[in-house]
Amino acid sequence: MTKLEFLFRLEQGLAGLPKEDIKERINFYGEMIDDRIEEGLSEEDAVSEVGEADEIISQIINDTPLTKIVKEKIKPKRRPSALEIVLLILGSPIWLSLLIAFFAVIISLYASLWSIIISLWAVFASFAGCALGAVISGAIFACFGNGLIGVATVGAGIVLFGLSVLLFFGCKAATKGIILLTKAMLLGIKKCFVKKGDAK
Amino acid sequence: MDIQLKRGLLDVCVLAAIKDEDSYGYKIIKDMKPYIELSESTLYTILKRLENANMLTVRTAEHNGRLRKYYRITQEGTKRIEEFKQEWNEIMSIYKFVTKEDDGDDKA
Repeated sequence: MTKLEFLFRLEQGLAGLPKEDIKERINFYGEMIDDRIEEGLSEEDAVSEVGEADEIISQIINDTPLTKIVKEKIKPKRRPSALEIVLLILGSPIWLSLLIAFFAVIISLYASLWSIIISLWAVFASFAGCALGAVISGAIFACFGNGLIGVATVGAGIVLFGLSVLLFFGCKAATKGIILLTKAMLLGIKKCFVKKGDAK
Repeated sequence: MDIQLKRGLLDVCVLAAIKDEDSYGYKIIKDMKPYIELSESTLYTILKRLENANMLTVRTAEHNGRLRKYYRITQEGTKRIEEFKQEWNEIMSIYKFVTKEDDGDDKA
């Protein structure tokens, strides 16, 4: 890949970020490539040493706060005309509620992910609680009541305890997974904003 | 390594790379290479952070018919390096305490 191709891909990938930021990044990576070429590397080698364009784009988007990206996206490119302002105000019952709905959907997605975690842990807690209850009540029953039924209850309690240990590790893994998932979701949302509709 | 700790260490490394003379992006990476690998993207983020914290200043100068950015350490930046050396003395004494038993000092 040539230097120009590399910088062009970078520019395309970052299209949703503030213009100033993009320019600074392009200059920075351009300088890095030029310095390597000056040292004797071929253009191709210099570009590949700087890194994979897509990876760099992902990292930059990850480092940029979501608020900055959204702000850049909704910034009007020119002053709106009087007609547009009137339409904007008249249309507010529609777009305002759509906007609220959009954020409500994101928040509810997030909330439902966390409610999955809470319910998983609740299942674990109930298993552990039942195990404890069964062992204690079974032991009392075995001593003062029907021996056979008491021993069976203690046994059931021990089985429940074993299951709850397995559940504990399952819950832990699920929590970790969902945290990773929310991080990926955030990057995905950011990329939606950064990628222009006309970009390939 | 802990991300916060590593971030702080890299900041000081970059300051150390420009402490004796002004330097530019590629030279900073080359100078640090024998000690620590640094990607371009990471360097960019660190330089931005240090500039915002007034620990370095940036100037653009012409070099071989193109523009190149040079970074110069400020008083604030030099102070940060001195602070780091001070902190490191404390960390080293904690390290000595933590690894005391491993060295067989307990047998004495």
